[in-house]
Amino acid sequence: MNTTGTRSGRALLHITLSLLLLAFLAPLLWALSGSFKPRGDIFGYPPDLFPDPFTLDNYRSLLADQPFMRWFLMSTVVAVVATVVSVFVCALAGYGFAKFRFAGRALLFNVMFSSLSIPFAVILVPLFVMLVKTGLGSPWFALIVPWVAPAFGIFMMQQYIVQSIPDSVLEAARIDGAGEFGIFRRIVLPLLRPSLGALAVWTFLQSYNSFLWPLVLVTDSSQYTLPLGLQTLFVSEQRQYDLVLAGAVLAVLPAVALFVVLRKQLLEGLSTGAVKG
Amino acid sequence: MTTALTGRGVGRTARAAREPDGTAPPARPKRTWAPYLFISPFYVLYVLFMLVPVGVSLWLSLTEWVGLGTPRWVGLRNYRLLATDISFHRALGNTAVFVLVAVCVIVPLALLIAQALNTRGLRARDLWRTAYFVPIVVSPILVALVFGLFFDRQFGLLNSVLRALFGTGGVDWLGDPELAKVSIGLVMLWRWTGYLTIFFLAGLQAVPRELYESAALDGAGRLRTFSTVTLSALKPVTAFVVVTSFIGAAQIFEEPYLLTGGGPAESTLSVSMFIYRAAFERQQFGYAAAAAVVLFVLVFGLSQLFNRVLGIGRAAA
Repeated sequence: MNTTGTRSGRALLHITLSLLLLAFLAPLLWALSGSFKPRGDIFGYPPDLFPDPFTLDNYRSLLADQPFMRWFLMSTVVAVVATVVSVFVCALAGYGFAKFRFAGRALLFNVMFSSLSIPFAVILVPLFVMLVKTGLGSPWFALIVPWVAPAFGIFMMQQYIVQSIPDSVLEAARIDGAGEFGIFRRIVLPLLRPSLGALAVWTFLQSYNSFLWPLVLVTDSSQYTLPLGLQTLFVSEQRQYDLVLAGAVLAVLPAVALFVVLRKQLLEGLSTGAVKG
Repeated sequence: MTTALTGRGVGRTARAAREPDGTAPPARPKRTWAPYLFISPFYVLYVLFMLVPVGVSLWLSLTEWVGLGTPRWVGLRNYRLLATDISFHRALGNTAVFVLVAVCVIVPLALLIAQALNTRGLRARDLWRTAYFVPIVVSPILVALVFGLFFDRQFGLLNSVLRALFGTGGVDWLGDPELAKVSIGLVMLWRWTGYLTIFFLAGLQAVPRELYESAALDGAGRLRTFSTVTLSALKPVTAFVVVTSFIGAAQIFEEPYLLTGGGPAESTLSVSMFIYRAAFERQQFGYAAAAAVVLFVLVFGLSQLFNRVLGIGRAAA
């Protein structure tokens, strides 16, 4: 916590922070404004923040000629289902690890924790082979089920439960004769709400933005997710970056909106585990 | 498991589910079986979709397989081929460069930004950190598209700015082998810095103010306070951030795949791209699995080492 006593120091700080803000947001504003420009104007220099002439043609032809809504639905449904299941599974397991002593606990937890350092590319090929060979390669299964138990999610939940749910509450419920699952559902889950929100946003964004796994798995273009659809649009048809720009902006809006609404939970939830280490 | 169940009903169900095992010590049955039921949905999925694939990867790496028919056992041949494959060496080298960018450039920068955001009495802290975080939330497709257009040799914004400022601007950002790496590094910087800043900021906010006050009483200057108080209090967070960004950069795929396709002349080919290319463009599944095992050994080994040295996760377990 350094104190910037002088007025010039404070001004310098604000200038630096503003420049950073510009650096982080300008590319996105550029994309947003470009998506309303005719193709020839996108590359204009200096770039105009406000499109002139302003056009909705990019959006119109994207929505009219491309199955954008189908990609969007595919991505959203997959992400929502994965998120709901994942949050539930992670909360259950995080509670199990946080509030019970049982044989094998340390071993099970450490195995899980150490898998945080397994790069996805390591299991890319075998996972693909396993799912396709067992007939489970359908996007509805393969884009969802393998991803509902992220080690990161358990870790986050476990940390949060250790810190925020006192044993005494659980003991009191047990003395009242509540079953273990009843305690989880009616006492633990409500207390967990902020961190459930954090994990939900995180899981949703991971799934919604994921690219490599759908790229490998989805071959049928009628089951493309948003990133795949936009990617094929970009590489196949003479680099239609005006359309792709409009599509990418539309794709990103829900993600950014969700993040902005739930930013407090997410940012605090994400850092909980790391700070306590 | 419907919401209609009463607490007592759930208790009965749980007990009923436990009874068939019959091995629970009678004294405190609740304590014995409930945790296993709680963690089992996660652990079954985790074993099936994480541990088993790692094992399958090991086995596949000892075979030759084009994706059809039965894999043919070839022993360690894939590894011998990898050892002399110049493309794989390039992929390892490029990935090492990306890891260095992440750990030696992005992590310190994130710490500096967090330090600035932690200034006492800073207004609109939430606005700054939210805005800085947005790039990681954005789909990699948009990132690649925008930066691809920025880096364009003829019409790109970057060269236009250079032309306006210095009169010349024919820089081939994505076409020159060295510059292409720089460009990928810039995109990583843009995407990841704000994300990592969050962790440092949370760490800084958790440092007790008394530590700073006593350092001030001892007459420590700003630099000394930073190194003795801030850095030592931040050790767990730093460890976490270093390991996270190491693992993230070691498996980098989207940035190079979408921006350069690994080129020019494989100068931005990453190990993840190498694996993807071998398996899904060349149908060399065994070879891809062998490269994956090498990546696994390197990343897993190094991060376990970091964890040991820096002491992460010890308090949690």
